[in-house]
Amino acid sequence: MITGTGITKIFKQRGGVLGAREVPALRGVDFAIAKGGAVSFIGESGSGKTTLGRIVAGLETHDAGEIVIDGVPMSTLSHRRRQPYFRRIQLIHQDPYSALNPTRTIHQTLEAPLRLRARQTGRPRSWVDGRAAELLAMVGIDPGYVLPRYPHQLSGGMRQRVVIARALTMDPEVLVADEAVSMIDVSLRLGILALLKDLRERLGVGVLFITHDIATARYIGDDGELYVLYRGQVVERGATEKIIADPVHPYTQSLLSAIPVLHGLERPGAERVVPREMQREGEPDGGCLFARRCPFSTERCENEMPVLGRDGGPGQETEQEYACFHPKRRSVIPVGVGE
Amino acid sequence: MTAHTAARDMAARDMEAPGVAIRDLTVVYKTPAGELPAVRGVDLTLAPGTITGVVGESGSGKSTLALSLLNAVQPPGRIAAGSVEIDGLGDVLTLRGEDLRRARGRQVGYVFQAAQNSLNPLKTIGKQLLDLGRSHDVEDLRGLVRDAKDLLARMGMDGARVLDSYQHELSGGMRQRVGIMLALVLNAKVVVLDEPTTALDMITQATILRIIREVHEERALTTLVITHDVGAVAEVADSLAVMYGGRVVEHGPVTEVLGDAWHPYTQGLIRAIPRLSGDLSLARALPGRPPTLGTLPKQGCVFRERCERRMEVCETDEPMSVNRDGRTVACHATDRHLTLVKRKEFV
Amino acid sequence: MTVIVNPEGAISPEAAPAGTTRATLRRNFWRGVWRVLRRKPSRMAGVVIVALFAVMGLAGPLLYPAQLPRDDNALYAPPSLAHPFGTDFEGTDVLALVVTGARYVLLTGLATAVITVALGTLIGLVAGFHRGRWDTLLMRLTDMNLAIPGLPLLLVLSTVWKFESPLEMGLVLGVLGWGGIARAVRSQTLSLRERGFIEAARGLGLPTRHIIGRELLPSMAPYIAMNMLIAVTGAVYAQVGLFFLGVLPFESNNWGVMLNLAVFNGGALTTPAALPYLLAPLIAILLLTLGIVLIVDAMDEIFNPRLREE
Repeated sequence: MITGTGITKIFKQRGGVLGAREVPALRGVDFAIAKGGAVSFIGESGSGKTTLGRIVAGLETHDAGEIVIDGVPMSTLSHRRRQPYFRRIQLIHQDPYSALNPTRTIHQTLEAPLRLRARQTGRPRSWVDGRAAELLAMVGIDPGYVLPRYPHQLSGGMRQRVVIARALTMDPEVLVADEAVSMIDVSLRLGILALLKDLRERLGVGVLFITHDIATARYIGDDGELYVLYRGQVVERGATEKIIADPVHPYTQSLLSAIPVLHGLERPGAERVVPREMQREGEPDGGCLFARRCPFSTERCENEMPVLGRDGGPGQETEQEYACFHPKRRSVIPVGVGE
Repeated sequence: MTAHTAARDMAARDMEAPGVAIRDLTVVYKTPAGELPAVRGVDLTLAPGTITGVVGESGSGKSTLALSLLNAVQPPGRIAAGSVEIDGLGDVLTLRGEDLRRARGRQVGYVFQAAQNSLNPLKTIGKQLLDLGRSHDVEDLRGLVRDAKDLLARMGMDGARVLDSYQHELSGGMRQRVGIMLALVLNAKVVVLDEPTTALDMITQATILRIIREVHEERALTTLVITHDVGAVAEVADSLAVMYGGRVVEHGPVTEVLGDAWHPYTQGLIRAIPRLSGDLSLARALPGRPPTLGTLPKQGCVFRERCERRMEVCETDEPMSVNRDGRTVACHATDRHLTLVKRKEFV
Repeated sequence: MTVIVNPEGAISPEAAPAGTTRATLRRNFWRGVWRVLRRKPSRMAGVVIVALFAVMGLAGPLLYPAQLPRDDNALYAPPSLAHPFGTDFEGTDVLALVVTGARYVLLTGLATAVITVALGTLIGLVAGFHRGRWDTLLMRLTDMNLAIPGLPLLLVLSTVWKFESPLEMGLVLGVLGWGGIARAVRSQTLSLRERGFIEAARGLGLPTRHIIGRELLPSMAPYIAMNMLIAVTGAVYAQVGLFFLGVLPFESNNWGVMLNLAVFNGGALTTPAALPYLLAPLIAILLLTLGIVLIVDAMDEIFNPRLREE
């Protein structure tokens, strides 16, 4: 179990007449990843989703807030004592091409962390080779074929599977997958997503899935939870299927409306929402962060900042939270032609 | 809208959009294993005034095809055979030197992938615009700048500010629109967009696709969109060509191809797209992986290794493109299926 | 254990290759090196030339008596069958001088190259990987090294040090010359450490020793190898130049000494008689440089598994 409360990150930008400018990347984000759970962070570039993923993986520091892993608050530990905790949270990079060392064979790539793992767990060295083959089989590739090869001899999909196998060497509790399929060929993406789902079910590994494409978030498990991030704030949160079917926040609705419609197979949703403007850098912070672009914003939105609130009324299986003064369900996603 | 642009828009409307006919195009790449075809025997007609989307995965030859339209295949690649006829220009593949350079930009505009590497990081956009104008002997540079500003305003940007900016001061979506402006400002009538929305956010992608569609219609263009993203093409294109292993395996109106795909690859590809609605269990990745130049089979169908409808004939004979109801498909299995249907009609 | 979710490798046309042991990898590496070298005739020529010099350095002095024979009747003799490059002022065969002199020159070059590359790479890697305080400290040290004026220092040193052993010479040249490589390796490290695989290694908790030695170093191998080869030529020029200038006392026979004697004693620049004596060591230096330059061309392909294979 991993929880974060009030995670805040400020980036200092150089330049400008007044010197350093502070840009908030995360504004007090709360989240929880249960054992074997699936949590997705959705948002555009600049939403802070990648930063949040890196903070969870221990690759980046945060300025305020607390991360608790297995009941232990990380802020109480020294840098060194924190490492074993963060080692159990492994990051899957977006780019399987740069994530593997081109000068090392897959065998070498897996051997090094496995030796370390063998030392940590008091297993004999002979365990390493068998485990490497086992992990590769687990991610759906033939160890005999892959082990002696260099990364350039593998397709993007295979490389990403190797990256996942490497992350599994540490017996992680959570895999942080940052845009893990965006650089994979379309015909192979579902295979990687299905693999993540399968690892959840078989190994009980939690998945933190970071993407700008909401549709992919459905495929790592229908019991997943979705967090919609906008400029460092969670604007909507709830069960993945629920949010996709019944989005309430206009930003979530804009994101869902922007997903291309497969004309011929689908009809566009009846109430698609298009933001009034494109996102600009360095926007002011007063009021709702989305107010300037929101087609439904009122004066209140300009002046007051909505906080994430609950809507757990009767008849709803799961709670859905959103930060909006004018919540309204709209049907924005494409509908199948046959339905 | 100024009088100037109004006049130009009139002219644009008067001028017919040109058609483009690619015939039997073969492009080979020199490798240690000999010359291997990245594009082989491609026939593709871009109807005047339409947007054609070419969809393919890595190694499908789609980018090579796009470069052939400008006769810009770089060594070790070489256009080995075929022709690319553009109305009012002739066969692009026979153009050389000055004529070719003039045609690029004047007749054929090219928008590079997310316009990220095509802009010079050391010069303002305005400076690059003037360079473009001078290299094409534009006499009225003021007019050119005015046109550029109009185009940028049309795409929702502050023209004057953008022209004074450097590449790094613009977001991905803005760069992409600058790329489209530079491709259109010399009044090119054929426009090629290579992965126009890759690496863009969803909302930005939707905006760019809408802009492409609108500008296409306003200026009476013939547009080719190259992408790996079926969704992007579905949003913007009139017709859809699916490439695999250097061949166009299926081509037809976009709603028909998506609604009722004939080629097993197209069917598999559509099934493999993550969707917002529908049954999760029906979605499936294609088995195997896309071929590379080195792993393309020498004979037979290029898709057979991943195909669930593979037959004996697929191992030896390459399927021919078959025309039916304004659609083409190259598949032995579909071929037989279609013929059977036809027979039934006759009975 | 089951194989799940549409294994991509299942349709692979290639059969599973043999083992993955170190020995196999090493064998494959050397096969790859051979393949790369054979790709261009120029590379093979480079290998032949460098091998020739290596043999010369190893076995050269064994081919001749310790005291080279003198022929008082043939001072500055023109080239002939017996003396392909003529003789020197004492009637000693010039070819013999070149061959026996190679050892000192090559050993110095090698020692210098090893020391510059080892020091430069180590310092650059540590500075670039750790950044922060280490970086500042090591880079100031590097700046100091770069700022040392080599020639004047050597002049001063030569008054107290005789440089009888080529290794001593190499040590001094090496310790003076690692600054450039350190800077270059540091900047390479800075860009490499942002790559996904380095970050992954850190995320896995692999020790710094492993990350620097096994992940970073191999990625920079072509670069380091090139620098090393070029450092050899640099060192050869440097010491030959020093001996030629007469800065260093010459106890032993080497190419720089030959040049010095040819020019200042034999007047090779004014009389044609001593010209072969001058040209022979020059040609040797030229050939050695050429051989090395021809091999440098192959380094990129040798250390990049992708380029090595195709």
